[in-house]
Amino acid sequence: MDLLLLATDQNTPFNYFPIALQLVVAIGFVIVMMVVTHLLGPKRRTSDKLINFESGIPSVGNARQPMAIKYFLVAILFVLFDVEVIFFYPYAINFAELGWEGFKAVLLFVAFFLCGFIYIVKKGALEWEE
Amino acid sequence: MKAIIAATIIGVVLMFTGILVKEKKGIATLAAILFFLLLGVNIWELSTLDANQPQAFFNNMLRIDRYSVWFNTLMTACTVLYVMLSGREIQKVGIHVSDYFALMSFMLVGLYMLSGYSNMLVLFLGIEIISIPQYILAGSDKKNLKSSEASLKYFLMGAFTTGILLMGITLLYGASGTFDIARFTFLQADSLNPMALCGIIFLIIAFAFKVSAAPMHMWTPDVYDGSPTPFTAFMSTVVKAAAFIAFIKLFHISFNSLSGHWTMIIAVITAATLLVGNVTAVFQQSVKRMMAYSSIAQAGFMLFAVLSISATSWQGLIIYAVSYTVATMGVFAVLMKLKDFTYDGFNGLAKREPLLAFVMTIFLLSLAGIPLTGGFMAKYFMLTAAVEQGQVLWLVIFALLMAAISVYYYFRVIIAMYFKQGSPEMSSPVTAGDRLVLVATAALVILLGVAPGLLLKFI
Amino acid sequence: MVIQEALFWFLTVMAIVCALGVILSRNPISSVLFLIATFFAISGHYILLNAQFLGIVNIIVYAGAIMVLFLFVIMLMNLNADTEPQKNRLIQFAGVISGGILFLVVLAAMRTVGGTAVDHTTTDIGLIKNLGKVLFTQYVLPFEISSVLFLSAMIGAIVIGKKE
Repeated sequence: MDLLLLATDQNTPFNYFPIALQLVVAIGFVIVMMVVTHLLGPKRRTSDKLINFESGIPSVGNARQPMAIKYFLVAILFVLFDVEVIFFYPYAINFAELGWEGFKAVLLFVAFFLCGFIYIVKKGALEWEE
Repeated sequence: MKAIIAATIIGVVLMFTGILVKEKKGIATLAAILFFLLLGVNIWELSTLDANQPQAFFNNMLRIDRYSVWFNTLMTACTVLYVMLSGREIQKVGIHVSDYFALMSFMLVGLYMLSGYSNMLVLFLGIEIISIPQYILAGSDKKNLKSSEASLKYFLMGAFTTGILLMGITLLYGASGTFDIARFTFLQADSLNPMALCGIIFLIIAFAFKVSAAPMHMWTPDVYDGSPTPFTAFMSTVVKAAAFIAFIKLFHISFNSLSGHWTMIIAVITAATLLVGNVTAVFQQSVKRMMAYSSIAQAGFMLFAVLSISATSWQGLIIYAVSYTVATMGVFAVLMKLKDFTYDGFNGLAKREPLLAFVMTIFLLSLAGIPLTGGFMAKYFMLTAAVEQGQVLWLVIFALLMAAISVYYYFRVIIAMYFKQGSPEMSSPVTAGDRLVLVATAALVILLGVAPGLLLKFI
Repeated sequence: MVIQEALFWFLTVMAIVCALGVILSRNPISSVLFLIATFFAISGHYILLNAQFLGIVNIIVYAGAIMVLFLFVIMLMNLNADTEPQKNRLIQFAGVISGGILFLVVLAAMRTVGGTAVDHTTTDIGLIKNLGKVLFTQYVLPFEISSVLFLSAMIGAIVIGKKE
């Protein structure tokens, strides 16, 4: 039980032991299930069974089709703001300690992002239907 | 520091003018005024700076001295000149005119960072801030497939190079435990650290890419040829100068004591750049593509500043950057007036637009390095610095030979303009304002050739 | 610490194998999936180094957002036909040689430095608290200026992505 005791220590990689354990169990469960069903189930391969199931409707055309660029646009903007939000995390933890100096720094940073956000909205990048 | 803040604010303001102002001409005028204000801020910063004491900001992230502020001032002045020369062409590229100017303003932020950085993190951010707007501007002409190709090519190659740059910074950090460029000098005291040397090699590769030096020049012709012409004029001049000042700063301040290890590498890169740029330019059919190779060749000359560590090379860099920038912007301004970018497109330009042909001749003579033009003094300073250093005399002779080759392809344009028959098609009429700015630019080129000392007065 | 060492080797092998998978697999989608696995392995390394913030950010931003974007792009491109052009053998050979030389040089450099440069004691530098303190005091300038980078990226998304 050494490991579990270690896990109670502050701030070592072994804090993550429970998470790792959960990951292992989760992935292991999926793998075991997939392998077991594969091995246990009967296999009858007919041509009808091998085609994609599309609610009984015969599949038409190709799944790979060019799609509207709006999806990319929204996704890219999401990534940018995602990165912004991550910067808040270290700030939140040091909130009291950093005081006004830190607050000003974060405020300026957010102000820039707000400018960017207003710019995006005004330019109509998030409007779905034009 | 004031200039960085001002340029950021101007960039944000320009972002929003596109929403408030719909008229393209108004946006371009506003941008010219704002860049002019930025020039004023730079001059203000220059006047308030103590001559002998470099000023450090934010725990030594930036260390600004008179040289770097003067460099910023000159480059901002070049940007103002650029907006005046090609403002009308920028309006033609697409509908996001204000955004193009905003990106240029952000690029100037990057330039100010690169001229004053004192920390590798700021160097990295600066390089990224000048690079990302370039990828965007290269692809801004969306209807043109070549423009998209240029953008994608540049972006992919640039992203790889950023990775290499980061790897170099990481290795240096691993070897020295600091990001401060002034503190890397500990390397001399220690027994030589191979990890640091590896880092320096990675940095050489990354910088060689950013300044388009051989053998990392492959992207240059396609990107400069495919990008909308007004943006090529900006990318190949001001932005390249920014990359050079970052290059020279790092290698002269931090790696000076290790110069025995990297001088030869840079010398070989210089020789290869001169050879590839000049020889390939001879075979081009399009003047725009020839200018792309010419910018590689000119980068070869600017590499002499990195190679020879002395006060002369710092002075030479400023003179070369300014005279090359002014002349190249002039050439592109004339080029943009024409419809056909091949040599044949210039046939008979002297008959139809004598003034245009005349100023073009002056710009080309400057690029070729003919006496009485800025280009001559620039090459003179560079080669003097190399001779003073004394290690690479063979390279100086080689460079002279290559300069002789360059005369051939620059003169082809002049011959086409003056001695061939034809009627060049213009893409837009040449207005009186255009003529005025072009003549002023040409006068500036001559002035730089007669009195280059003007550029060194404020250092 | 036997477990730590075992984990280190496991993650290292996983990272290298998956990275090789990225460049060797012919199907671009499996390349991206390999890349995600590589990121997870690297995140594991960060956690082993006690740099938990980096580990989490690496997963959220890279494996989460950016890789999904990659998948998005690849799935929507027409990659049914095997259109990858055949590369010139000579160029491939030259690439292997030059890459191998670089690898050797770096490897030799690392060997000469030896184990002395590496600090085995665990530090708290990478913890979120310490990282935040450094970020908002010493490195506050790069932090602020990175917003300029974000703004240019937003402009880029509009200029390139928006229909004219």
